[in-house]
Amino acid sequence: MKNLLWKLLRKHISPAQLIGFSIANLVGLTIVILAVQFYNDVKPVFNDDESFIRKDYIVITRTVTGVGAMMGNSSEFDDAAIADIEAQPWCRKVGRFTNSEFSIYATVGLGDSGRAMRSQFFFEAIPTDFIDVADADWEFDPAHPEVPVIVSRDYLSLYNFGFAATQGLPRISEGQVGNIPLAFTFSGNGINEVMPGRIVGFSNRLNTVIVPEEFMKWANQRYGNGGNGNPLRLIIEVNSPGDVKIEQYMADHRYDVAGDKNQSSKASYFLTVIVSIVIAVGIVISLLSFFVLMLSIYLLLQKNTQRLRDLLLLGYSPAQVSRSYVIMVLAINGAVLILAIVLMLIARAHYLPMLEAFELPRVSVLPAIITGFVIMALITIGNIIAIRRKVASLWLLTK
Amino acid sequence: MQQININNALPAVFAGREPEPSQVWQCQLTFQRGKRYLIVADSGTGKSSLCSYIYGYRRDYSGIIDFDGTDTRMLSIPQWCELRKQSLAYLPQEMRLFPELTALENVWLKNQLTNHKTREEIENLFEVMGIADKLHSPVARLSIGQQQRVAIVRTLCQPADFFILDEPVSHLDADNNKIVAGLFADAAAQMGAAIVVTSVGNHLALNYDVELKL
Repeated sequence: MKNLLWKLLRKHISPAQLIGFSIANLVGLTIVILAVQFYNDVKPVFNDDESFIRKDYIVITRTVTGVGAMMGNSSEFDDAAIADIEAQPWCRKVGRFTNSEFSIYATVGLGDSGRAMRSQFFFEAIPTDFIDVADADWEFDPAHPEVPVIVSRDYLSLYNFGFAATQGLPRISEGQVGNIPLAFTFSGNGINEVMPGRIVGFSNRLNTVIVPEEFMKWANQRYGNGGNGNPLRLIIEVNSPGDVKIEQYMADHRYDVAGDKNQSSKASYFLTVIVSIVIAVGIVISLLSFFVLMLSIYLLLQKNTQRLRDLLLLGYSPAQVSRSYVIMVLAINGAVLILAIVLMLIARAHYLPMLEAFELPRVSVLPAIITGFVIMALITIGNIIAIRRKVASLWLLTK
Repeated sequence: MQQININNALPAVFAGREPEPSQVWQCQLTFQRGKRYLIVADSGTGKSSLCSYIYGYRRDYSGIIDFDGTDTRMLSIPQWCELRKQSLAYLPQEMRLFPELTALENVWLKNQLTNHKTREEIENLFEVMGIADKLHSPVARLSIGQQQRVAIVRTLCQPADFFILDEPVSHLDADNNKIVAGLFADAAAQMGAAIVVTSVGNHLALNYDVELKL
């Protein structure tokens, strides 16, 4: 005589309704978690290879116009302009480019050929957190002066495919670059010094020659006039690149955004929009199915009203009486959740090979599973509250 | 629980009507543990209403019903559940058995809450009542008199301070009436419980301490 309660209360359970709910909820939930997973899987395509945490940066300058140039210093960003950018909702962080205020010549020895290239040069510096080269030896010590520099990866391509190929010079791989003998001649304030240099990395983000900020500070004091001028370029870490508000702001203030980063940013913005739409559709389906289950449970409780009342009269508590239905809901929702996760994993196994060309990092499925779990938990809590309230409403007989 | 006090109670549906002479409605009344009460009523005088007010599943009355001084309207649901398991044994007139369960299952549904009787004791009660052969029959297939006896067995499956029996023998003959009266008298004596019986004519055959006209 175990489970007499269930024997009583399972009366009027409609398998058709419950199956209908389960399928609807399964579809909705699968769409949601698959969209979340797909988003996580594809997102790295739009990121720099070398950024370990997803971040988006834009580099801006003032638009150079004839009128502006005549007005003098209009291509600088003053403190007010920077503060205004920092106050924008899409801005996370602003970094200032510091320019070298002295003359630089770089001399590059080209291997055994004995030939050397000498060229006028420039440096810029930005705060270290904006640099996308990991593990670079990024220190400068005036006692043992050697200048580490990071250059744009484009420069290497330019040399390898443009210059070296046509001039009969050897091509250089990224690994070999550190061994190239490099010397910088700095002059200013009546001082003329030569220092060894070393390329420690290549950046996709920064289309310039970067040296450590501490070196720049030291060198500007030594050869220049302290480096206290306003920056000509800013690097900004933004929440969502490609945001129309950013574009609008830049246009309004006549700022130029450098690089094609914006293109991939736009694509990533649209990816976000599309995935959001898909997730919204999934959530709507899940919500509708939630109401189907609600209706089904209400109907069930309605049909079993007399039984439930009689059980309460015997001394069963509303919680005891509800328990059977709560367990039923937990079982159904748990099964739907597990099935949805399985379906998501199967679908993922089908689309991952298509993305192989991008050599994407392996992304965890945990966020998607947690999303599914949270949605299901919310639905289940809603169901349980409804059951409890309905049963509690039977406590008093109103005439 | 020692006593049930009924102070000036009146069903909401009677409000505003010409008051009919009653020894319960709009009176001060106390049911004392250990005593036997018979409430004699005509149909439609609120006999089942009184039981439902005391048992706590209807509140459509004015006045106050209290248990040892606690207004029953103030009792929480868990407190009521406890009372229904430990103090108030109620036999509703309409019996409220579950027709799809067998006679034994109906009784067991109560007994598994209280653990008051062993299965043997319950089977004995069926024996005494002359329905031992119906233990495993679905209640739906029992006659109304047999159903009443199942409901009586169920009412006995709990500790009680008050037995509230709403027309307990309306469908039983004189012999069965005596048997039932004996069972309740024994149970009440054992636990020091009160017996409150309502009747429209066929009284449960007990000696009553107090007889009230509703």
